[in-house]
Amino acid sequence: MNKKRPRRFPFTGILSLLLTAGLIVWSFSSIGFELGNLQRDLGKGGHFVGQMIPKSVVDFVWIWHYLFGDPKQHLASAILTPLLETIQMAVVGTVLGAIPAFPLSFIAARTSSFFRPISVAFKTVLNIGRAVPVFVYAMIIVCWMGLGKETGAVAIGIGSFVMLCKLYAEALESVSPGPVEAVKAAGGNGAQVFVFGMLPQVFPNYLSSTLYAFELNLQASFILGMVGAGGIGFKLQTALNYYNLLEVGVLVFVLILLVNLVDYLSYRVRLVFS
Amino acid sequence: MDSKILQISDLTHQYRKGTPVLQGLNLSAEAGEIIGLIGLSGAGKSTLLRCINGLVTPTGGRVEVFGENVPDLSEERRRLVRRRIGMIFQEFNLVDRLSVLKNVLVGRLGYSGTLSSCLHHFSKADVGLAMDCIAQVGLDDYEDVLVRNLSGGQKQRVAIARTMAQGAEIILGDEATANLDVRTTDSVMELLQGLAQKNKTMLLLSMHNLEVARRYCPRIIGLKNGILTFDAPSASLSDDAVTEILV
Repeated sequence: MNKKRPRRFPFTGILSLLLTAGLIVWSFSSIGFELGNLQRDLGKGGHFVGQMIPKSVVDFVWIWHYLFGDPKQHLASAILTPLLETIQMAVVGTVLGAIPAFPLSFIAARTSSFFRPISVAFKTVLNIGRAVPVFVYAMIIVCWMGLGKETGAVAIGIGSFVMLCKLYAEALESVSPGPVEAVKAAGGNGAQVFVFGMLPQVFPNYLSSTLYAFELNLQASFILGMVGAGGIGFKLQTALNYYNLLEVGVLVFVLILLVNLVDYLSYRVRLVFS
Repeated sequence: MDSKILQISDLTHQYRKGTPVLQGLNLSAEAGEIIGLIGLSGAGKSTLLRCINGLVTPTGGRVEVFGENVPDLSEERRRLVRRRIGMIFQEFNLVDRLSVLKNVLVGRLGYSGTLSSCLHHFSKADVGLAMDCIAQVGLDDYEDVLVRNLSGGQKQRVAIARTMAQGAEIILGDEATANLDVRTTDSVMELLQGLAQKNKTMLLLSMHNLEVARRYCPRIIGLKNGILTFDAPSASLSDDAVTEILV
């Protein structure tokens, strides 16, 4: 017997297209976006960025003094210490998120054999948690922990946890059942089935998700730093407050270097384990 | 003593109520027998194999393996039975990211401690046995190669080595040669045939290739819609019988 194709509203495609177009036009007009403004403001922006770039010998001498000259304001306190603080916040946050996310992702996975209502409830909590920006977590935590790196790390940890739980669960859902069945068929117990049948399949995904989370956390750590959590973000905010744009330029340059270095290293690590 | 290592009686199974996959199946087999299992896709071949090693619990009937009725056993007891039954699959079902040696050592998991094996630590004896099995399937010097870098035929040899490392007394093949070319199929079948002759391993191999079944399996059973419609020496598998099973 021929199966009847489900009837579809004939204009569904056209309607979706019109709605999307309407949304785009409405959004652009609401924020008053005009290409002309962009061109006009581009000059201002260019001037602002230009002040961050050293152009004269005086600028380079200032940077030299900023980094190495003044014994009270040497390289370590100017760049290295806040940079390390930013990295430390991201590392601690990633670890705080990844450790509980690993076992709890089993509850969230669609393929898990957990009691369905618990699994659905947990996934709902995760979805709500993911909608909350790390910045908001930091604002809440600051109420009892106060400003500082620890607060930043805990906020990043919560953000990482909700994100990694979802990513780990998706990795578990993509596990091919073949090797799992083979290990079971060979007489493996539950733990052995996980270690030999599942882990080799999910490990590269777990690793790349964790590294991706770390890269995002580095940015979050930087932004939280700007609002008082410390690190290079705080340093940058102070420089901006004093309108010391040459210092801002140096800090942004260091940040670009850091992000690219982390990106390259995580690429190399992923390559080894892929 | 009864020489039958497999005794199935009145086996029935249904995944969904009202759609039986196996219906009142009776079958027995002795050590060293090579049995070809033929039938169309969906005839119940894979389910039958999985009822034997307890991966599927049938809805009715008895599946006695080594004298124990598998459906009655607890998961822990089933595991002990399962480790004496090797299984090879059409898709090989090896762990691609692990080496040949590690994949063969999977066959020893049922005999190893949980903690040590989970830390990928196996006894010297187990490693020696696995190396022996690798050599026997003609993959000497491949022990450290990742399985994903092997050809289909080599992968199936690794899967056979895994069942050998298990010390399997029964090997169940689920379309084990379906993904292999003619020459590789022959070499894999010869390897399995050798195991049956040398170790008295009983082989129950589901397959679509009738010519291979006739050539290597002295006994052939046919499944149609979950019912055993043919069980006789391969010499009696006439074209009419094949038509009866497959059409």
